[in-house]
Amino acid sequence: MSQAILFRELTKVLPRPVLVVLAIVVGSTFIFLLYLGMNKLINYAPERYHEGLYGAMFVGPAIFLLGLFLLYPAIRTIYLSFFDKRGNNFIGFENYIWSFSDRLMLITIRNQVIWLVGVVTLVILFGLVVGYISDRLKKGEAFFKSIIFMPMAISAVGSSAIFKFIYEYRPPPLTQIGLINGLRVGVGSDVNGNECGNNVTLDDGTKLDYVNEGCLKPIGWLQQRDLTNLPSFENITSTEFFSSIFVNFPINTVLLMLVMVWMFTGFAMVVFSAAIKAIPGEIIEAGQIDGASEGKIFLSIVIPYLKTTILVVATYMTVSVLKAFDIIYVTTRGDFETNLLAVKMLDEFAKFLNQGRSAAVAVIIFISVIPIIILNIIRNKSEAKS
Amino acid sequence: MRKSIFGLSLLTLALIAAACGGGSLEGEEVLVFGAPATDGPDGKAIQEVFDDFTEETGIIATYVGSENFESEVQVQLESGDVPDIIYWPQPGGVVDAAERGLLVPLEDLDIDLDEYESRYSPYLVSLGVVDGVAYGGANAVNLKSIVWYQPAEFDKRGYSIPATWDEMIALADQIVADGMNPFCFGMYSNGATGWLATDWMEDVMLRTGGGTATYDQWVNHEIPFNDPVVKNAAEYLSQIMHTPDYVVGGTDAIVSTFFGNAQDPMFERDADGNPGCLMHRQASFIVGFWPEDAQPGAGTETTVFPFPVIDASLPKAALGGGDMFAATNDREATAALVQYLLLDDEAWTPVATNRNGHGSTRITANVNFDTSLYELEITRVLGATINAALSENAFRFDASDLMPVEIGQGAFWSEMTELASNGPSYIDTALDNIENAWP
Amino acid sequence: MNNQVQKWYDKPISKIILVSISLTWVLPYFGFVLSSFRPGDSIKRVSWWSSIATGDFIREFTFDNYSEILFAENLSRSFFNSFAVTIPSTIIPITIAAFAAYAFAFIDFKGKDIAFLFVVAMMIVPLQMSLIPLIKLFSKGAVLFGVTVIPELSINGTFVAVWFAHTGFGLPLATFLLRDFMMGLPKSVIESAKIDGASHLTTFFKLALPLSVAGIAAFATFQFLWVYNDFLVANVFLGIRPQNLVVTSHVAQLTVGNYGEAWHLRTSGAVISMIVPLIVFFSLQRFFIRGLIGGAVKG
Repeated sequence: MSQAILFRELTKVLPRPVLVVLAIVVGSTFIFLLYLGMNKLINYAPERYHEGLYGAMFVGPAIFLLGLFLLYPAIRTIYLSFFDKRGNNFIGFENYIWSFSDRLMLITIRNQVIWLVGVVTLVILFGLVVGYISDRLKKGEAFFKSIIFMPMAISAVGSSAIFKFIYEYRPPPLTQIGLINGLRVGVGSDVNGNECGNNVTLDDGTKLDYVNEGCLKPIGWLQQRDLTNLPSFENITSTEFFSSIFVNFPINTVLLMLVMVWMFTGFAMVVFSAAIKAIPGEIIEAGQIDGASEGKIFLSIVIPYLKTTILVVATYMTVSVLKAFDIIYVTTRGDFETNLLAVKMLDEFAKFLNQGRSAAVAVIIFISVIPIIILNIIRNKSEAKS
Repeated sequence: MRKSIFGLSLLTLALIAAACGGGSLEGEEVLVFGAPATDGPDGKAIQEVFDDFTEETGIIATYVGSENFESEVQVQLESGDVPDIIYWPQPGGVVDAAERGLLVPLEDLDIDLDEYESRYSPYLVSLGVVDGVAYGGANAVNLKSIVWYQPAEFDKRGYSIPATWDEMIALADQIVADGMNPFCFGMYSNGATGWLATDWMEDVMLRTGGGTATYDQWVNHEIPFNDPVVKNAAEYLSQIMHTPDYVVGGTDAIVSTFFGNAQDPMFERDADGNPGCLMHRQASFIVGFWPEDAQPGAGTETTVFPFPVIDASLPKAALGGGDMFAATNDREATAALVQYLLLDDEAWTPVATNRNGHGSTRITANVNFDTSLYELEITRVLGATINAALSENAFRFDASDLMPVEIGQGAFWSEMTELASNGPSYIDTALDNIENAWP
Repeated sequence: MNNQVQKWYDKPISKIILVSISLTWVLPYFGFVLSSFRPGDSIKRVSWWSSIATGDFIREFTFDNYSEILFAENLSRSFFNSFAVTIPSTIIPITIAAFAAYAFAFIDFKGKDIAFLFVVAMMIVPLQMSLIPLIKLFSKGAVLFGVTVIPELSINGTFVAVWFAHTGFGLPLATFLLRDFMMGLPKSVIESAKIDGASHLTTFFKLALPLSVAGIAAFATFQFLWVYNDFLVANVFLGIRPQNLVVTSHVAQLTVGNYGEAWHLRTSGAVISMIVPLIVFFSLQRFFIRGLIGGAVKG
């Protein structure tokens, strides 16, 4: 407490840049002295304990901080998930029952599954293809890789803004400035045979727009929860099983999901191309001499060789998708059935002021990662054996 | 021991500070947090008010606004690093925070409640009361019971302003027959989609059944959400949303159109020189969203007529929204700012006169404020209308802002969005769903 | 060897695939960045592709959108804040993680496996899950079974809080990646140092650390980009005081300030906030890409 006040007082007296530099210097000296001090102390202990003590000294601070910053909050959250709105009364599993019965919550879970399957598969697929091809280029490898990788350097918020600009919808007769709608409304001609245009004025002063019957209408892509509003699908009846699945295809969720694919393909590509480089060249050459087709070489030699790498990427992507927050938060904020668990969690906390439900959603996110972690542990074990 | 020495030195520091300041609050800081963005028109306007206050008292008041106010404020309240004053976009925020014991009653800030009530009407004051104690300070209000139109376009085609709902429908049919779309209607709003439809329903509720009395019962859940009166209101709304060609872009466009863009078609002309739409029911703040070249014409080129009467036997009523602020501590500097905002009748002047070109069209709820000071014609008219409505107790606050959050920002919004896309046959399901969701 | 058969990857088809994928990846930026040089009014009236076609783009080319944001009051302070947040938030977790990684790789101690499993497990705790409890911890401390474990800190709203928070969130991945990296170092070198009687601390500073530079640089880039681009954690722990604004939040504030569709500011603002990450990315790209895989490939 007193340190905190001291800190606050200091903030008032010293100019901020000085203060920040001071804090950094004092902080790093402290960390350094901490390890040095521990090292000195260990020297006084009996020799046979040294190795263990050194282990504790090297690992200790990390474990302590993890416990404080991650484990403790996680436990508190699990505890809170069994309590009501303001955390006062124990209500058992009620928040979990709500999680799996509330309509919007079920849709959120569905979206999370779509994202998990879609993002992980597409990122791995694109990553493999681009990684494999670019790796064999004679020149330009670095250039292609940089292009694909660049989205990783931009924040999710920036990426979302970029894609929002592409999906942009404006009510007619305004000019469509989003790429998809703009190209859409400018083609063809209306029922009277007049050209359709994106609200453009030609040199002779005539105006071409798209409001007349026969021209394609712009579509609010991020608001389309299914395909029923798309002209080509209007006439499909949703009674048949397959067509009903088709018509209910949540196009907005998929379009938002693509933002994440765009962002993370570069990551997968880099990891895969490095792994591909590590494949001994003779193996592939042997395949070629045997007359195997390139597709076959890729599927039966390269892929099996990359099995563990694929698992690593899949693990990383699964964790990232479950944590995905910004893309939804800055585009639709979860409206039109596009919500994801991480955003839903914040909504329950901040919008509906329900700490219990918010905690329950957090716990669900946490639990969802466990299977893939177990998979990793099994893999680690089997590797250790071999 | 160390603590006490430290405390002592703090005390000394405080004494020195007090000696230097000569007992005044000069140099004290007050941090205010709200939803309108710091650098936006409303944020700048709020800061202008604070600058006057700083000049008068020497207390430095700073306004900070955030797009993510809703979540950030909850975090702040938990973090112990709380702003001194918080502007909530809905009174519900004040009520919730007060119930959690995080706010200071106005009385403890030396506010004379009678004087406060005489300026802001007992109705507005009552919205910030918890267990008989007033916490919330009424502030800016906007008027929602208005329909925007362009007189020139009306005159050109011989249309007259509809005074009743039936006249408005007749006019709409006429416009459709003339090959245009009568209404602009866009309800997409990140994380809040649906509020425009709830606004329409509220306006109808105020003009049908028992008027404001029924409205209050509805807000307090003294009548069920699927009551015939409410269903009736939903049917009126559905008539606008679902009659073919009534809405520009068709029914699909309603949910796709961002509410801030919704009126843009009115300012655009198609190949035949017709505007995209001729009427738009939206609150007074929409002016800030218009294309820049259209904004100066507010009140002249583009102006409003009152939301039409439905049941002529009911007294006139006005629907509105607005923000409410509350203090999180009773520091003298905080109290001074609250007093200034609530009881100084000239505090609003920099907002009204558009000082330094902030461009905000915020209207004060203080009936003592001289509305002739507003720079824009339209705000002058709307300000006077709001004042009159408040004085006659005909002003009602946005119902969805007063209902429990699960309804007001949850089921009511989402079911109205469903209604917009699913058509009139969905009305019963929508209302039943909302009724079932009521906590 | 086999000159008659054209290698498949030299066939036009694979080049077409690659070029089309790259174009797809670049296209989103293209219209966006281009729009940042157009007047706000034109962006709304004419789509960016027709503005190129008609030549309007060249005629109306402007830097106004950029100057509007770059000359905004106190933007330089926000840049300073961003670095003040980012640099320690990168160094602290890496330092602590490097020590831990060394121990996991080269020291045999009891409970090593369990400790490592714990680190991996913490990797999956979602950030959002720990935000609120952490905020409470930073303001009111922690009391377990009536014992004050952590005293009342009241550090919310200071840089220290953000440093701590980012340290917590970055530590598991840092430890995990660096351990993998150090496992890849030649064991014999470390062993021989031990035989020569060097202490673990000496080995760590003199051998393990210099040899792991690539891995450390990789993670540092990663963490730097992440922290710099983040504004959730910054907003939560730094609070709303204007003097604490970081660049990402500041730019976001400037762009939403004008309501409606301020695409001219949204685009230029986004480009400005991308500058630092892109510079860091391109200058450290080599390390980044090499180091990251150091861990992942071996698996």
